[in-house]
Amino acid sequence: MADVLQLTVVPPPLPKSWSPQPPPAKSLSPLVDRKLIAAGPAYLAHVRRAVHNLSFEEHDKHVEEERKRLQELNGDGVGEDDLGVGEEEESPELSLLDPKEWKKQDHYAVLGLSRLRYRATPAQIKVAHRKKVLKHHPDKKAGVAGDSNDDAFFKCIQKAMDVLTNPEKRRQFDSVDPHYESLEEDVPTATEISKAKDPNRAFFEQFSPVFEREARFSRVQPVPLLGEYSDTKAQVEGFYDFWYNFDSWRSFEYLDKEVNEGSDNRDDKRYTEKKNKTERARRKKEDTARLRGIVDLALSVDPRIKRIKQEEKEARDAKKKGKSSSGPSKAELEEQKKRAEEEAKQKEEADKLAKADAKKAKAAAANAAKKARRAARDQEAPAS
Amino acid sequence: MAINGTFPNGSANAPVEASSQPTVVGINFGNSYASIAEGLAESIANEDGERQIACAISFHGEETYIGNQAKAQLVKNASNTIVGFRNLLGKKFSELPKDKSTTSAPIIQHPDVPDEPAYKVQVLQASPSPLPPSALTTKTNTPAVSQTATPRSEPAPVDRILTPSEVATIFLKSLLQSAEDFLGKKVEGAVITVPGWFDEKQLAAVRQVAENAGINVLQLLEDAGASAVTTTAGPLADGLNPDRTQLVVDLGASSLSLTLLSIRHGLFHILASSYDSNIGGDQIDDKLIKFFAKEFTKKTKTPLTVCPSTDKADVRAEARLRLALEHTKRTISASPGAATCSVESLKDGLDFTGTINRMRFDMEARSVYSAVYAKAQELLASADLDFLHVDEIVYVGGSASLPGLDETLAQGVQESTVTPFTAGTVIGGGIGDPTTLLARGAALQAKLLAQIGHSGEDEEVRKAFEQGSTWVRAKATTRSIGILFPEESSDAELGGQWIGVIPRETAVPARRNIAFDVDLGEDGGPHRVGFEVWEVKEGVKVEKVKPPKDEDEEPLDEDEEEEEIEVKEKTIEKEGYLASVVVETKNAKKQKGRWRTRLEVQFLLGADGSVEVSAWEVGTAVSGEKASVSVPPL
Repeated sequence: MADVLQLTVVPPPLPKSWSPQPPPAKSLSPLVDRKLIAAGPAYLAHVRRAVHNLSFEEHDKHVEEERKRLQELNGDGVGEDDLGVGEEEESPELSLLDPKEWKKQDHYAVLGLSRLRYRATPAQIKVAHRKKVLKHHPDKKAGVAGDSNDDAFFKCIQKAMDVLTNPEKRRQFDSVDPHYESLEEDVPTATEISKAKDPNRAFFEQFSPVFEREARFSRVQPVPLLGEYSDTKAQVEGFYDFWYNFDSWRSFEYLDKEVNEGSDNRDDKRYTEKKNKTERARRKKEDTARLRGIVDLALSVDPRIKRIKQEEKEARDAKKKGKSSSGPSKAELEEQKKRAEEEAKQKEEADKLAKADAKKAKAAAANAAKKARRAARDQEAPAS
Repeated sequence: MAINGTFPNGSANAPVEASSQPTVVGINFGNSYASIAEGLAESIANEDGERQIACAISFHGEETYIGNQAKAQLVKNASNTIVGFRNLLGKKFSELPKDKSTTSAPIIQHPDVPDEPAYKVQVLQASPSPLPPSALTTKTNTPAVSQTATPRSEPAPVDRILTPSEVATIFLKSLLQSAEDFLGKKVEGAVITVPGWFDEKQLAAVRQVAENAGINVLQLLEDAGASAVTTTAGPLADGLNPDRTQLVVDLGASSLSLTLLSIRHGLFHILASSYDSNIGGDQIDDKLIKFFAKEFTKKTKTPLTVCPSTDKADVRAEARLRLALEHTKRTISASPGAATCSVESLKDGLDFTGTINRMRFDMEARSVYSAVYAKAQELLASADLDFLHVDEIVYVGGSASLPGLDETLAQGVQESTVTPFTAGTVIGGGIGDPTTLLARGAALQAKLLAQIGHSGEDEEVRKAFEQGSTWVRAKATTRSIGILFPEESSDAELGGQWIGVIPRETAVPARRNIAFDVDLGEDGGPHRVGFEVWEVKEGVKVEKVKPPKDEDEEPLDEDEEEEEIEVKEKTIEKEGYLASVVVETKNAKKQKGRWRTRLEVQFLLGADGSVEVSAWEVGTAVSGEKASVSVPPL
């Protein structure tokens, strides 16, 4: 667009007596020849207009198109390729972080990668770290009003970089990523699904993100995801098979209590270590149980299972029908039923008889036992 | 290539990276100092951390020093140190002034090439390495043949003849190397600044030198252009109009060049320029050296005659002082306090430390400042302009960083004139930092050129930046054009309120849009806005006014004649009526009892000299109807 120069002058109102004069036949004073200096964006625009014979408006349009094209080409339009890291707004809480409490900070948020999280590649982490350092290095803050010694956030950045560039440390942090912790609580319940307007859709909508989230812990990649309603039996079975045998790399070292390295007391150290170990094992067990619970729940409300069972039954029925082409008639069915009833009655009677017999036998046995005991006492008495 | 086809360790070739944006730099190649800048107009420091790299090469034994290290060699090794070689590029030996005395390596006639200047320096040439023992021994390896290698013989002193272009090639190569080391990427192109007064031959020589040094020259940009690019690149400083007249004061170490530029919305052309190789920072140096030498003599009772110095000890002392002064001048420019100049063992083993405050400094340099002022006045007169018409002053070159120069020039110009000192952009690599301004301008230009595509259409555009392109020819207006709001009882000469829109010396075609509030009076009802388009002539009125008398003060001297003060004023004179425009307003709003509306006026100046003026009301949601008139082409 054309630059509009905003002026502050306020011209006075038009006098009543004024009327526009007819323009004279005169035009501008003669122009003079000048030699422009071939430099600067304005000269480029000037030449473009002249070369392509464009008017100002056409050129404006052209420039706008070019700008859009470049913007698309460069992503954020920030010149150098930043691998899609982009700029993230820094929330005010970030600047209040205490580097001593680094275990509690969200390392991805510190580096401005909260959009990417565990998906961030090492290259992206490097780019993001560089960006942050350029912005927050204490040298840059020197002379800025306020506490120029305040390099707390910079330390946080370094700590975050430390954790995220070490694969082992990063795995441990990813295991307990605080961003997902709150999400993990949010697992749909069976009633939520069944009471939903469209339970079928609700199931996929609610469970897909859960499985996607959990999939990141799998040692085996790629992970079969929930899929859709029309999946085949093999696919569904494969899915549950995989998730029941889920091989997770999740571990909980990150939450360990600090072992007091300075302490001379090795018993103390061992005690803490042991406690940490059991705690880790407990958490791991809990996590496995949690995942199993989710899979159980999904299986129990999975509309596909219902559908498959239904289909199988129908298939079976259809098969049966195919065997006895006409199928059993009504009379036959009734007869069958009657027969079954009679059988049941007979069985009942037989049961009754058997019970009575058993009672009698028991009583007889008891009497026999009594007699035997009495006889034994009688024999003993004369002897004493 | 080394054995088995691999590169030897530490191959210095920077890797070429396939990036969407090619790495380009801007090089300011001055006669005394050079600087490099990159991409976002950041100045690059060389390996020694200097952004101002002295154009000097010194040969000492087998070593070659380049840049500021070479300058230090002027003390002990002056005859093997080469400075000021840029201005010799493309010159014949017979064209050079012979009478100039020099402290560095003398210029001689090239022994082989006729009429070619050259430098003769003495270097130590490494003797050829002896043949390895294996070449001497036979297969039988007789005991008579020694197995130890023959020791290398001592390097032999030889005379080396270097032409200015060879020297410049070595220097530019080192600049390029510094830039590549700093950026970590291969530099794919560069814009090099050249003085405006270089002729075709000199330009061709510079281009040739750069190509020999392995630089892909995108453009040779004249200094004034580079400074204009830098000053028009950033956001506009307060009180500056995108249409302005700029005076570029380039006070380098060895010369002064003044350029008057007409900057019209980023498009610029030279109104007038002058060049003087007799005024420069070296003159300031001379004065200061004399000042300090006198002080030294006073303090130590050791005679020291400098500028010119004849005695060998004096010559050396002068060179020492000259080097130390660099620091003193920087301190003076940076802080208002006193600056010291200290030299160890200046003469006869005596150390010297002297201080100079800014006032004393300015007193010493006054003659140079005045010369610059006079030159500027001369230049403006030649362009038929006055200091009042200068809207902005830009300083280029190390010596122009001195605040005293700005103070001297400020006496002439209007208070509203923007200089880098008033804008506060001189220090710390700001926009107006005179030492890096040119390199940054060149870097911006390089970036611009690198962004032009390579498609068929753009090829023509690219050519427009080449030397001698016809696209630089343009026509410019000779009168200012603006709009006049008639007023009933106006005491202004023009009979109303004047708003200048297109100043004179604007290259056509041009477009200007302005927006402003218009007062519509107190009564309601339908309003209309009308204005006339006029061509005007700008001039300067000089009046002699008696200074206002201070009545309380008794005149100290009764005989003292009251001097008249010249008061200058800009004037506007109506020259030709062009058209009238009337706009009916609908969106007027009442503010404090008066109706107001906002009007936008667009001027389209065609290449043929036609003018189209349109005006419309700027509404809150939709813009009002356009009213336009046009003036026929010439």
